[in-house]
Amino acid sequence: MNAKEKIFLDEEEIPKEWYNIQADMPSPLDPVLNPATREPITPDDLAAIFPMGLIKQEVSTERWIPIPEEVREIYRLWRPTPLYRAKRLEEKLKTPARIYYKWEGVSPPGSHKPNTAVAQAYYNMKEGVERIATETGAGQWGSALAFGTMLFGLKSTIYMVAASYDQKPYRRVMMETWDGEVFRSPSKNTEYGRQYLEKDPDTTGSLGISISEAVEDAATHDNTNYALGSVLNHVILHQTVVGLEAKKAFEQIDEYPDVIFGNVGGGSNFSGATFPFAGDKLTGKKPDLKIVACEPMACPTLTKGLYLYDFGDCAGMTPLLKMFTLGHTFVPPPIHAGGLRYHGDAPLLCKLVKDGWIDAVAYHQTEIFKAAKLFAETEGHIIAPESAHEVRAVIDEALRCKEEGKEEVIYFNNSGHGHFDLGAYDAFLSGKLVDYEYPAELVKQALANLPQAE
Amino acid sequence: MKIGFLINPIAGLGGSVGLKGTDGLVEEALKRGAKPVACERAKKCMQELELDTSSVILTCSADMGENTMINQSQRYEVVYSFEGNSTSEDTKNACKTFLEAGVDLLLFCGGDGTARDVYSIVGKDIPVIGIPAGVKMHSAVFAISPGGAAKIVEHFAAGKAELRDAEVMDTDEDAYRRNELRMKVFGYAQTPYEPVLVQQGKSLFQSVSEEKAKEEIARFACEFMADGSLYILGAGTTTQKIAELLGLGEEKTLLGVDAVKNRELVGKDLNERELLRLLKKENENEKEKKGIFPVKLLVSPIGAQGFVFGRGNQQLSAKVIEKVGVENVIVLATPHKLSETPFLLVDTGSEELDKQLSGYVSVVCGYRMAQRKEVRRG
Repeated sequence: MNAKEKIFLDEEEIPKEWYNIQADMPSPLDPVLNPATREPITPDDLAAIFPMGLIKQEVSTERWIPIPEEVREIYRLWRPTPLYRAKRLEEKLKTPARIYYKWEGVSPPGSHKPNTAVAQAYYNMKEGVERIATETGAGQWGSALAFGTMLFGLKSTIYMVAASYDQKPYRRVMMETWDGEVFRSPSKNTEYGRQYLEKDPDTTGSLGISISEAVEDAATHDNTNYALGSVLNHVILHQTVVGLEAKKAFEQIDEYPDVIFGNVGGGSNFSGATFPFAGDKLTGKKPDLKIVACEPMACPTLTKGLYLYDFGDCAGMTPLLKMFTLGHTFVPPPIHAGGLRYHGDAPLLCKLVKDGWIDAVAYHQTEIFKAAKLFAETEGHIIAPESAHEVRAVIDEALRCKEEGKEEVIYFNNSGHGHFDLGAYDAFLSGKLVDYEYPAELVKQALANLPQAE
Repeated sequence: MKIGFLINPIAGLGGSVGLKGTDGLVEEALKRGAKPVACERAKKCMQELELDTSSVILTCSADMGENTMINQSQRYEVVYSFEGNSTSEDTKNACKTFLEAGVDLLLFCGGDGTARDVYSIVGKDIPVIGIPAGVKMHSAVFAISPGGAAKIVEHFAAGKAELRDAEVMDTDEDAYRRNELRMKVFGYAQTPYEPVLVQQGKSLFQSVSEEKAKEEIARFACEFMADGSLYILGAGTTTQKIAELLGLGEEKTLLGVDAVKNRELVGKDLNERELLRLLKKENENEKEKKGIFPVKLLVSPIGAQGFVFGRGNQQLSAKVIEKVGVENVIVLATPHKLSETPFLLVDTGSEELDKQLSGYVSVVCGYRMAQRKEVRRG
């Protein structure tokens, strides 16, 4: 049995290929539809804003996709990330379970996001794109993209939601340090932004507005593409470096998880960390492996949503994706795990949940912060509120193991630090957190009586 | 900016000497050694209040305001004078004078009784804010402290405050002193509050005004109310907003309990007996039709302490709630209202029912959104 607290891989063991779970899925994904024609979209439909290298990955069903050496070189800046054994947490809980976590907080932007930001910047650079436009809510994805584009000599333009721009200046400074051009969104830089400002000069913005600005910027400039930080297949593909490294580290200590937990917003963190293991379940190598997605009660897409075609954005501009959704017009309440506030989830993950391969569970805000506090007291790291969701689940599972006297191996991906989330910790410590929840029964009753949409 | 300012100098007198209120008991309170507190509380507020030089405070003579304003930095004018000891009539007359003088905001210092006197004259014509000084303060027009009142006035003067509806409540003091709590909502005043940006951590939100929050709750309610059930609507401006969106407009009574089915008002300002009769009739009707639609009760917490049942809506008695069924009670409240109370309270008069209503409930607080909130026995 492993006695180490940290398991490190050698730099040479950074994966050379990403894992594409589509190759092992018993039935294929439903196609992405063009909202105008309701026909499956073609690569050409996407070429206006994405490079062909990423479009090919988006539709590929190949099991292994090579990671370009240039991307691996940059991964070396922080990868392989350590696999920790949470011994102090185990001791505090007096559990016979062995708890392991992968720690993605060591990346320069402080989360798992650069795993895909770097790769996306690379493919855009290869195809001669000079600039990438994107949106950022609070700055985590924007930081990662500014970091990734800078390393490949590309420019980045980041539309940062106005309220966040005003209130989180350090995230902005981080992006600017990595040469990102940051606009307070809505901005005067786009037609959409100008129109919006004329209508409502005092608006504090929203993610929907920022997305529209970034897409317009990309669509109206030949040298500019758009990038997304989650949901899409290619984003998930890039994130599988996390799970692949974790598998290798477990091999080193001759362990294999019995149960895996991860938090879900758009699904890229969860999928990246778990799909390499989920592949073993799909192919019958580990039929009893339990994989659980953890989400907020305030935005319980997988546990309370409907599985159907819906838009990926609030404005209804994107192609239609088959996924669990709370409806693209649903505006999640202001919980602190802002990264989990998304009305839908990655189609790949949704299909695996729908088909029963992956379970899902939802938590209230207060209980996840209690878990984060216990984690900080035992393991030291002050983690992002998003990660606190799976830590809650891990603690509950470890306590169940204690009750039942079971020696399970529990694994989770600790996706990032919470150093920009201390306001949320402050609210928790002073008892001011609000436990939002989705009134699923009343919504169901409401939907049952609404005129059916076309 | 003109701010009307008055003190009820006897407010709070009874509290320190064990009287449940001060109305009609000033001499008794003074005999028991009570010390006036209202002027001190008002002074604290004025010491913290910073206004620009263009603002003026219009106030009353002697201990209804002037005595407190002497030695303060704010510009003031005495516009109402009285002789001898001030009374409830003086509060009302001062308010009339303030209205005639065109004040933008009325700041008063007192308790529920004072709030009621003020409301009886100004209604919703101008916003009011109370410096808490009374024995009873169930009304939602009070700031949490004298300093808090000063801050809200400053924000209002700077144009940064928004307005919300706030219950003006008072008890029947005779009954109260006999340990019977009978509370009534007299109306809804307008009170300023400072919108707080909810954004911390990673989310990105501007505050939602009370009016907008009510609209969102009402929009959601109108959707789920289309299921054919009989809905009993409790008092208040949130349920009134629902009636408005249902197209019932003026028909809904603001302070009473009404019943709605399939977008039609089927009962208005119902008392306990009428409610029980309606429930019985509905039960018989649905039995005939092998009905599957239960009766549902939509209620909003009332007053500063957040009572769901037992204050200001006594017609929703234990008997009525039991007939409806605890599982069919739907609580609605705006995020601001919920942020003001750490938990909600129930006091139906039935210990068993209070127990059933206690614990965590899902309170609808927006469009397709709820908050988990603890309910305790009041």
